[in-house]
Amino acid sequence: MEPQIEMAPGAEDNGLASMLSGLIRQNLEDKPHKMRDFERLRATVAIIADDAGVSLTLRFDRGRLVVHDGIVGIPDLTIRASSDDIMNLSLVELVPAPILGALPDLRGKVLRQVGEAFVKRRVKIYGAVANVPTLVALTRVVSING
Amino acid sequence: MAKFPSPEWATAYKDAINQNAAYREAGKDWVHGPVAMVVKADPAIGLAEDQGFVLALHQGVCNEAEYVTGLEKANVAPFVIVGDYARWKQVVRGELEPIKGMMQGKLKLTKGHMPTIVKFVEASKQLVASSARVPTQFLDE
Repeated sequence: MEPQIEMAPGAEDNGLASMLSGLIRQNLEDKPHKMRDFERLRATVAIIADDAGVSLTLRFDRGRLVVHDGIVGIPDLTIRASSDDIMNLSLVELVPAPILGALPDLRGKVLRQVGEAFVKRRVKIYGAVANVPTLVALTRVVSING
Repeated sequence: MAKFPSPEWATAYKDAINQNAAYREAGKDWVHGPVAMVVKADPAIGLAEDQGFVLALHQGVCNEAEYVTGLEKANVAPFVIVGDYARWKQVVRGELEPIKGMMQGKLKLTKGHMPTIVKFVEASKQLVASSARVPTQFLDE
């Protein structure tokens, strides 16, 4: 089944929106096992690239994703980071995990870099504590690994 | 000093890439074919048609940098990045990092596999760093 990914009006001119929608689409095409997470995700995720001055909202609705320019609605998760750190989020290493499928590799180089950026407040994730399963599923869908 | 864009600049750029040890390392796993950088036509500064470069990159080495005119010739490459002259000038000067430029919509990946580009983000930075080492004469200066 092909992933249903759409750009909301106005999102076509948002470079980050084009990049992330392309990345997620091609990830799902290359690695169909990620469709399981994509079909389970029902969440609104805002991403802000501070240094690039760009923001977007990903609205996942069980197998459908609409990408909006700017922040739309009330996000369950908000990720605020530099463009480099946002790219790093899609490079997070994943390791197979029983039942859960795959989890971020705690020993992975990229995850350590992201962790360091988080500690230094270069990466801020609002809503993470209340939405851990969503954050993990999002990481699996966005990561080019796993 | 080579005019940007021109065949001379392409040759100098190829040499700069191959002299960049950091690119050689970051791009050592690149086996995904040529990358085209296209400057959109801008008659006001004498660019009557789209022009650019097709970089034959393979495993950290640039085997050829071909200067091309017209988007069709660039489109033979599996990866095509397009931007206007002012943006590429910023890139060549090291003022605009290409991934950030793509996020801002200043540069567009019009063809190519986004996960591969993301995977080689460090290599793309080193390509830009290489371009900044080419003594360049810009058309609008």
